[in-house]
Order: sequence, then structure tokens, then C-alpha cells
Amino acid sequence: MTRRKGLVINDRQLDRCDDILKKLKDVSGSSFLALISTSGQPITTASDEYHPETLSLASLAASSFAATQQLAKILDESEFTLLFNEGKGINLHVSQVNDQVLLLVTFGRETQVGKVRLYSQRAIEVLRETFEGPDDTMTPEMDADFESAAGDAMDDLFRDV
Amino acid sequence: MPLINFAAREINYKIVYYGCGLCGKTTNLQYIHRKINPEARGKLVSIATEEERTLYFDFLPLTLGTVKGMQTRFHLYTVPGQSYYNASRKLVLQGIDGIIFVADSQISRLDENVESYLNLWDNLLGQGDDLGKVGFVIQMNKRDLGDVFSVEDLNDLLNHTGSPVTEASAITGQGVFETLKVVCKQVIAKTG
Repeated sequence: MTRRKGLVINDRQLDRCDDILKKLKDVSGSSFLALISTSGQPITTASDEYHPETLSLASLAASSFAATQQLAKILDESEFTLLFNEGKGINLHVSQVNDQVLLLVTFGRETQVGKVRLYSQRAIEVLRETFEGPDDTMTPEMDADFESAAGDAMDDLFRDV
Repeated sequence: MPLINFAAREINYKIVYYGCGLCGKTTNLQYIHRKINPEARGKLVSIATEEERTLYFDFLPLTLGTVKGMQTRFHLYTVPGQSYYNASRKLVLQGIDGIIFVADSQISRLDENVESYLNLWDNLLGQGDDLGKVGFVIQMNKRDLGDVFSVEDLNDLLNHTGSPVTEASAITGQGVFETLKVVCKQVIAKTG
């Protein structure tokens, strides 16, 4: 019944994800890539120059993807595994890594959607193993004083408003 | 269900404002966006109809700064309040860490409040989340208007969990940050 599972990323996983995103960026000719959680929070990005506003992008992309999944249900389709938005200059490709993680790729006219789709699919297989494989690295514990320090930070942030 | 990225030293919490149509969810977010230090917030994103009614959600990221070495963020969302948008509400509720139920204190809005409150618990139970780990606050909004329920009566009607209650007038800002602070502290205490 209780399936509340936080997503915790350790050093090994993040390094692996960064490597995969960088390779995917190079081989696919895409301009900006991000791993985001299905609840709309960014995990990591890969980009040379183009930096969209990542927080809003992650929130909107995750929500659109979630809506797409519900559209599939209404249409009696088991799942829609990707979301593609075609623009004049930029295209957006969102695909599912696992039930907690999405891969977001933006690309322009310098590459083709087929190429992005093919290499994204291969990258997803490796990413999935990164998140679902046996974890040989201990996940660090939160600092014991985090709660009280966060409370102080909140008092400071909201003090003058 | 916070996203804890130890490698990047980041922790992100998701908080959702829930409640019936026109109860003041978006007004809460707009006030926070206007008043908080601009360096501590991102862009306010709204997916709304032409009449400025929320169609899908509003989104506002807040940065608390670096706490014990962790960049700490709260992602604030609203849901569309009108009853026929329930499919959208369920999507926004995915992966939440805290909920602010915004109750319209006006006596004339009792039916809508109760319907929305029941709908919230239906959706939460349907998700199968461990609700013991979700922060929950009830904000009694529109206290500045006449013909409103007393706090005690509204508490009896809407607060079956004995959760913390705040009084607010989102349009003037009274109680907006107090409510947010209560739920933020709850989610950190519950989820770590």
C-alpha cells in the first residue's frame, strides 16, 4: 500500500548519468539534455552554451509527460513512452527512463529526430541500469542538524516580508 | 518524496496548494512571488484559461539557500480548483511532500470546501502514498471578509486529522508566509 519512495542520487549514480548525457549529447547532436524526476525536479543537465530556465522546464515537461500518460489510458493504450514537441528552431523530446526519472532532450535543425530518438533509447537502457542496478555505494545520511538549520534559514528568508 | 541529490548537494521538496475554485491558491503564490527576495525565487509559471482561472497548475520555485551544505529548494504548485479538473489535480499531486489545503472561510462556500477536502483525501488515498510522511496544513483564507465561519467551526468541519491551522487573507498577504513556513518545517521534519 505504501509506495512512498524518495529519489536519492549518490555520487556514483550522478557521475554515471553525467557521462551518459555527455555521450548522448555528442552522438545525437542535441543542444541541451536533462534528467528530471517525474514529479518535476531537475537531477542533472548537459549543455555547452544553451541554458534554458531548468526549474520551469523540468516542471512543465514532467507535467506534460504525466498528462500524456493519462491520455494513453483514456485511449486504452498501455503507455505513450515519449513526448515530442516540434518547433521552428528547437524541438523537445521527453522519454521515460523509469517510473521516477525522465530524459529530456532539446535539439535544433543540425540533427534529426530519428537520430535523437535512436540514441536516446540506447542511453535510457544504460540509465535505467544506473538507477535500478545494485547500489554499491552507501547513500550518505543527512546532517543531523539539517532540520534546525533549515528552520533558521526559513526564519531569515521570511523575516522581512 | 523529496529528491535528494547528494552528489550535487541538492534537496528539493514539492508542496501543493489545494482547495476549491476561487479559494485563493493562486493568490497565495502571487503574493509570495511579489514579496519574497527576487534572488530566492524563480519564475512564476501559470497554466491558466483566458479568464485567468487555473487550467493545470501554477508553479513557483523557492530557494532557501545552502543549508548544512545542501542547496535546499521548495517547489510550490497549485491545482485547478474546479471539480471537473480532477484528472489534472491527480497529476499535480504526484510526488508531493506537503499540502496546504486552502479553505474559503465564507459560509456560502461550505459545500465547495467540503467537496474539495473529500476529493483531496480520495486522491491521496488513491495514490497509495504513506500519508504519515506528507506535511499537511489547513489555511483558513479570506478572514478579512464578512459572513465567515469561526475558526473553531471550520476546524470541526474540515480538519479530521487535527493538522495545524493558520488564518489568512491571501489578497492582503496576512498569514501567507506563516502558512508556508509551517508546512515547510513539517516536510523537512517528516522527510529529512
